[in-house]
Amino acid sequence: MKRLAIVCSLLILGFAAVFAAPPVEISLAYPVAVDAPITAMLKGWAQDYMTQNPGVKVTLVFSGGYPDVKTAVQTAIQGGAKAPTLAVMLATDVYDLVNAKYVDSLDALVAQAPGGQAFVKDFLPAYMGNSTYKGKLWSLPFQRSAVVLYYNADLFAAAKLQPPKSWDEMGRDAQALTVDGGKTRWGIEIPTENPYWTFQPLAIGAGKNVYTDDVTVNFNAPEVIDAVQFYLDLSQKYKATPAGVQSSWGSSTQNFAAGKTAMIIHTTGSLAGILKSAQFKVGVMAVPGRKAGSLASVTGGGNLYLTAGHSPEEQKAAFAFAQFLLDPARVAQFSQATGYIPNRLSAGKTAAFKAWLDKVPQAADAVAALAAAQPELATQNLNGVKTIFNKYLQSAFNGSQSPKEAMDAAQKESDKALDDYR
Amino acid sequence: MRRHRVLPYLLVAPTLCFVAVFTLLPLGEVLVGSLFKQKLNIPKYQHPVFNGLGTFADLFGDPDFLQVLANTGIYVLVLIPLLLIVALGLAFLVEAKLKGLAFFRLSIFHPTVLPMVSAATVWMFFLTPGYGLWNQALRILGYTGPQNWVGNPSLALFSLILVAFWKNVGFLMLFFLAGLQGMDRSVVEAARLDGAAGLRMVTRVILPLIRRQTLFVTTIAFISAFQTVDHLFVLTQGGPSGRSTLLLYYLWEVRFDRMDIGRADAVTVIMIAVLLAFTISNFLMSERNEK
Amino acid sequence: MKSNAATLVRFAFLCLIAFLMFTPIAWALAASFRPPTVPFALGNVFFAPSLSLENYAKALSLAPFGRYYVNTFWQVGAIIAAQLVTGSLAAFAFARYRFAGDRLLFTIILLQMMIPTAALLVPNFSTIRFLGLYDTIPGIALPFFGSAFATFLLRQSFLSIPRDLGDAAAIDGCRWDQELRFIFLPTAKSSLAALVLSALSFHWNDFLWPLVITQSDTARPLTAGLVRFTQMGEIGAQWGLLSAATMIVTLPLFVVFLVFQKQFVRGYLSSGIK
Repeated sequence: MKRLAIVCSLLILGFAAVFAAPPVEISLAYPVAVDAPITAMLKGWAQDYMTQNPGVKVTLVFSGGYPDVKTAVQTAIQGGAKAPTLAVMLATDVYDLVNAKYVDSLDALVAQAPGGQAFVKDFLPAYMGNSTYKGKLWSLPFQRSAVVLYYNADLFAAAKLQPPKSWDEMGRDAQALTVDGGKTRWGIEIPTENPYWTFQPLAIGAGKNVYTDDVTVNFNAPEVIDAVQFYLDLSQKYKATPAGVQSSWGSSTQNFAAGKTAMIIHTTGSLAGILKSAQFKVGVMAVPGRKAGSLASVTGGGNLYLTAGHSPEEQKAAFAFAQFLLDPARVAQFSQATGYIPNRLSAGKTAAFKAWLDKVPQAADAVAALAAAQPELATQNLNGVKTIFNKYLQSAFNGSQSPKEAMDAAQKESDKALDDYR
Repeated sequence: MRRHRVLPYLLVAPTLCFVAVFTLLPLGEVLVGSLFKQKLNIPKYQHPVFNGLGTFADLFGDPDFLQVLANTGIYVLVLIPLLLIVALGLAFLVEAKLKGLAFFRLSIFHPTVLPMVSAATVWMFFLTPGYGLWNQALRILGYTGPQNWVGNPSLALFSLILVAFWKNVGFLMLFFLAGLQGMDRSVVEAARLDGAAGLRMVTRVILPLIRRQTLFVTTIAFISAFQTVDHLFVLTQGGPSGRSTLLLYYLWEVRFDRMDIGRADAVTVIMIAVLLAFTISNFLMSERNEK
Repeated sequence: MKSNAATLVRFAFLCLIAFLMFTPIAWALAASFRPPTVPFALGNVFFAPSLSLENYAKALSLAPFGRYYVNTFWQVGAIIAAQLVTGSLAAFAFARYRFAGDRLLFTIILLQMMIPTAALLVPNFSTIRFLGLYDTIPGIALPFFGSAFATFLLRQSFLSIPRDLGDAAAIDGCRWDQELRFIFLPTAKSSLAALVLSALSFHWNDFLWPLVITQSDTARPLTAGLVRFTQMGEIGAQWGLLSAATMIVTLPLFVVFLVFQKQFVRGYLSSGIK
C-alpha cells in the first residue's frame, strides 16, 4: 500500500513538473578583478533581466580570475556537472576551449535571434580577431583591453619634453626622467613577470607580431629579437629601467601612481585605478614603435563564451541574456566604471559615453590607441607556448642568454609544442 | 574470543573504505592513465591512445621537467632542515619560564592560523621591488643587489622557501615543545652530571628522547612541502623561466593549463613514488629504532 | 639555574624574533586601514596620514564573508569529527588486536598519508560528482573523513598503553567500546589534541581542492573566497583591499586563539605526543 502511495505521488509530481514549465535556469561565470565595481552592476542587471523575463532565472558565479573560470568550466564538464551556461574567459583561449569541446558555437543562435547578425556586426573589428575558428563564431567580446603607454604628463612638462614618438625618444625621455639611478625614480617600467603581453607592443613596434596564426609563431624573427634588444637597451644603454626581470605587474602601477616611475607599459584595464590614485596629469597613448611616428598596441581581455552541454532552451535564454548585457547603453556604462574600452561601435556613440569622454580625455586616448593594436598571442596549446615564450624572454631579460640565443630556443621549443596540431 | 575475529575488521572498515575510494581507486586510475596519451585540446588525442612508458620517457628527456625535479629537490632539502633546526631551537628558547612567554609563543605560532594564500599575499608585498620592506631591510644591512626577489631566477625559489618557513616554523616548534616538556627530566639531569652539555647534549641525549616527535615532525614537514603550492599561485607562478616551479604546481599546470591528461598522470605517479620512498624509509627507520 | 645575564640574552633574542615574525601581520593590519587613495611608496608603506575603513567596506561588499565562515566551520568541523571517530576506531584495532592481514591493511591506510589528496584532485573530482556532491560542503569534506594520519598518530599513542591493562579490563568483562572510551582515549588526550590542531590548520587553509570542487558561494570556504582578492586580473595589486580581506578571514580565528591560548597550549603540551 505504502509503495503504491509513493508511486502515485511521484506520478502526480511528475505531471505537475511537466505542466508547470519551471523557469529556464542559466548562469554566468565572471572573473571579478578585486577593485571592480562590476559586481554590483552585474547583479543589478541580472535582477533587471529577471524582472523583464520572469521565465528565466539568472545566477551569477564570481571567481577570482580567468584561470579560475576556465578551471571551473573544465572540471564541471569533465566531472559531468553542468558548467555555468555563460563564462567570461580569455579571448585567446578559443583554440583550447573549442578543441576540448568545452564551448559551443554561437552561429545557430545568432541566426535565430532577432537582430542577431546586426548585433554581431556592431563589435569593434579589432576585438573580433579571436572570436572565430574553423569558420564558426565561438565568443563575443566582453571586457576587452589593450596595452598602452602611461606617462606622467606633469614630469614631461616640467622637463620640457614631448610624449615620445619613437623607441629612441622613449629611451632618451626615460633616461632624462630617471632620478638617482632609479632609487628616486625610474624613467620607465615594463612588467616582466608574465612578459609576453607587455612585450608584444615592442615586437609589433619593430614591425612584426610574435605570431601569425594558430600554429605559426615568429619568436626568432629579426624584428622580435630587436625588440628584446630594445628592452635590454632601456636598462643597459639608457639606464632608465631596472635591469632584468624586476618590474612586477602590481607594483608598476603603484610606482607610477606614486610618481616613482615616469612611464609604464600596462593595460587599459588599469586606467580607472591609476586615475583614482595619481595626483598628477596622466597621459595615455599607444606604445611608440621603432620608426618615428609609428605606434603599436596589443589587444587583450576576456570574451563571453557559451559552454557546452546545455539544452536548446538554456542556450537560447543565455544568448538573449548576452544580448541584454551587451546592449550599447550597458557597454558604455561598463566602460565608464572600469576603464575598459567599449567593445561595440554603437556604445561609443551614446550621449552619456561622449560626455564621459569629455570629462576623462585619457579614456578617449585609450580608445584611439586601439587603432594601432594587433591581436594578443593566441595559438594552439596556448599555455604550453606561453610558458616557453615567457621562459626565454625572461632568460634574455636576465642576461642568461643573448636575445638571439633565447629567441631561437623559444622558436624551436614552440615549434615542437605545436607539432601535434599541424 | 570469537568476536575478535570480526571486530578488528569492522573497526578498520570506515577508514579503509574512505582510503579505498579516495586514494586507492584514484591511484589505480592514475597508474593506468599514465600509460596512455591523452590531450584534451588536440582533436586526435581526445581519446586515450596507448603509449606504454612513452610519457615517462618524454618526461625524463624534457629539460623543463628535470628543472622541476631539481627545483623541488632544492626546495625540500633547504626548507626541511631549516625548519627542523630552527623549530627545535625555538622550542628550546620558549620552553623554560620567562616573562612574556605567551607573547613570544604567539609571535612564533600565529602564522599557522593564516591561510597560505593570505601569507603569500602579505609576503608578495614584502618582496615587491622598490618599496617592499624586505628590500628596505636589506638596504639597511647594506645589500643593494637584485631587487625583485620573486623575479630573479636564482632568488625566486628562495622567496618561496622564506614564505613557507615563516608560515610553518611555529607549527613544528609546538610539536618539539611538546616533546621537550614530556621528556624524562631525570635522564637529562643524569647526562648533565656526566658532563654532557651544548651540542652534544642535544644530539646525544635530547634528540633520542624526542625521537617520536622528530619522526612525526619530519614526516609532516616533508609531506606539506610537497602538497602546499598555494604560495606559487600568488607569488611566482613557477617563474621566472620555470626556476621556481615545484612538482605539484607543475602537475596542476600540465593538467589544467595544458590539458595533458596522460602527462599529468605520469607526473602524479612520479610524485607518489618520491613521496613513498621518503616516508617509507623514514618510517622503517623509526620502527627499527623502536624495537 | 641559569644566570640573569643568560635570561636577559634569551629575552632580547626572543624580542627580536617576535619582532621579525610579527612584522608581516603588523604591516597587513596597517595596510588594511590605509585609505585606498594613498599609494604605497618608499618610506611610507606602514603609515598613511589618516586611517580609513574603506577597504573593509569594499571587501565586505565584494564577498559574502559571513557565508564563507559558516561554510568553513561546517567543513572543518565535519572533517575533524569524522577523523576522530574513524581514526580512533582504526587505531584501536591496530594497537589492541592482532588479526590476519593487519600489517597489510595498516600499510594500505598509511599510503594515504604519503599521497596528498591534492595530487589525486582529478579522479577525486569525478568520484564526488558521481556521488552527486559537487559544489556542496560534504563534497569538500568527504575525501578526508578517513585519515591515515589520524590512524597513525593515535596508534602510536595507543601502543604506549601496556597490553596488560587492556587484557585485564577485558577479563573484568569490559566491552571493547568501554575499553576504548575509558582506557585508551583518556591516555591519548594529547594526541587527540595534536590531531585536532593539525586537521584544523590544514583544512582551514586548504585551497586547491575546495576551489575545484565548488563553484558557488553557498559552499565555498574562506580560502576559496579569498582568491577573488589575490588574483589581480589585469588591474594592479590592491594591497589595502587584499590586507583587509586577509584580516577579515584571519582575525576571528586569531582572537579565538588568543583567548584560549593558555588552556590550549597547556592542555596540549601537558604530556606531549607519546
